[in-house]
Amino acid sequence: MTRLGSGLLAGLKVTWRNLVRRSVTQHYPDVKPELPPRSRGVIALQEENCTVCMLCARECPAWCIHIDSHKEVTPAEVEGGRDRSHNMLDRFAIDFSLCMYCSICIEVCPFDALHWSPEFEYAEHDITDLVHEKDRLREWMWTVPPPPALDPAGEEPKEIKAAEIAAAKRAAPPPPVDPAGPQ
Amino acid sequence: MSETPATERAADLRAVTVGIGDGAAGFGHERGGGVDLATQDMVLNIGPQHPATHGVLRLRLTLDGERIVTCEPIVGYMHRGVEKLFEVRDYRQIIVLANRHDWLSAFGNELGVVMAVERMLGMEVPVRAIWIRTLLAELNRVLNHLMFMGSYPIELGAITPIFYAFRERETIQQVMEEVSGGRMHYMFNRVGGLKEDLPAGWLGRTSAAVAAVRSRLPQIEDLVFGNEIFRARTVGVGVLSPELIHAYGVSGPIARASGVDLDLRRDDPYLAYQELLDDGVLRIVTRSAGDCFARFDVLLEQVKVSLDVADACLTRLHELPQGPVNVRLPKILKAPEGSTYAWTENPLGINGYYLVSRGEKTPWRLKLRTASFNNISVLPQLLEGRVVADMVAILGSMFFVVGDVDK
Repeated sequence: MTRLGSGLLAGLKVTWRNLVRRSVTQHYPDVKPELPPRSRGVIALQEENCTVCMLCARECPAWCIHIDSHKEVTPAEVEGGRDRSHNMLDRFAIDFSLCMYCSICIEVCPFDALHWSPEFEYAEHDITDLVHEKDRLREWMWTVPPPPALDPAGEEPKEIKAAEIAAAKRAAPPPPVDPAGPQ
Repeated sequence: MSETPATERAADLRAVTVGIGDGAAGFGHERGGGVDLATQDMVLNIGPQHPATHGVLRLRLTLDGERIVTCEPIVGYMHRGVEKLFEVRDYRQIIVLANRHDWLSAFGNELGVVMAVERMLGMEVPVRAIWIRTLLAELNRVLNHLMFMGSYPIELGAITPIFYAFRERETIQQVMEEVSGGRMHYMFNRVGGLKEDLPAGWLGRTSAAVAAVRSRLPQIEDLVFGNEIFRARTVGVGVLSPELIHAYGVSGPIARASGVDLDLRRDDPYLAYQELLDDGVLRIVTRSAGDCFARFDVLLEQVKVSLDVADACLTRLHELPQGPVNVRLPKILKAPEGSTYAWTENPLGINGYYLVSRGEKTPWRLKLRTASFNNISVLPQLLEGRVVADMVAILGSMFFVVGDVDK
């Protein structure tokens, strides 16, 4: 070791250098953090998309999703038709005191009814208030950001491919009518 | 010295290491206060709730004055029974639990599970996924080490370094959050690859973050490493011999600080580490002193290496052709009957997953081998004959996470 105290001085130099610079601390309640769109803050429910398939409730590793539903029957529209039955959502609740924020429910939802929102300011004084019923979950939908664009080196999403094929089909002229067709 | 029985060795140790650190010079010690003074041993509980421990590790110390006669770590206050919980969860749900036992290296924990399942299935992971996994694992290592580089000086009474460490952590956490959505529990691995692709422009932002952390790392170095007080508290304190390391299965940076040169990234390469090793980017950091200072020094050096590795991964990701980051999985994923053992070099040491499957969608057994458990089991040997003040320095330098100990 060199001179005694030189190590302390080197440390003080770092302190001094940072003392005269702008601080990096954000004053949270006054300055809101900028969160990326993938941020897992709260789960929002697009109620209209939910078909009560129960996949989210079954796949949840913490079993924190509660779903109640009943069946409604629409009578047949035409004579001799069949009656159609639909699942009607009565209750959709997520208990955020149990939720582990793993995003499995969002991943398994086949109809994109569940989404992440980066909102995080929903702390409560009473733990039971952390159960968000479907009205509250629906309200979170307004805070869901659009997903970020993906890296150009990534694989093209299969939706684009499907849309392109559909567009090509629509744009292409209808197949020529066979001259020797039915007469 | 390792052949002598423990009691004899302890007596030896007391006789030899009377002066620990320069401050203890002339501090003679005789068991029980000598012939003139009859004293009694005192039992002191450090923890489970104590500011000098991390989390809920409890140490039951028997003290003779200031000196520790025996130390008994009592673990299990945070036992959550994850191994049993694994048995009733499918492989995607296991990742949720697995990334939580060591909350400072969530990405590394996820890796072990998915690698074990992929090996059982004989699944090929897309090349882009391999490089992104390597990149994120190394960033995770940086995050973990920065945490300990900040918290260890706090235990020794230096409050400032943690603010510097957390500024760097925040820089990297931002890019981790952007890609995975989580700041600690990333949940970004899936069997066969990753959850989703990178956001556009993320590679550039990560390069900037890595460069920023690298440029500011010397500040932490200047703040702590030359500091005379820090050196006096750590140099020559808590020397861990390679024999003890082999006897207790200590691994990771702690083992390498004592010259036990074992790093699975080199010795059993997984992900893209073989290529990084061939390119000379991945260097294995070792020290020979084996004291608290050497352990801390290894952390700093590993951060530097990990940042270099992250840069190499970023360069490679720019060059790689267009391709997927995951493979399509069946609706119900079942590992075939059999067993496998996957181990990874987690930031804190060797992390092993022994997976036994009977062809169900849940594992029949998933045994977890965590680094922290072995790393703290050596504590009784290390603390015997030391003074209480050194206990804090030694305990802090064993770099463990209580969740990783108790599982």
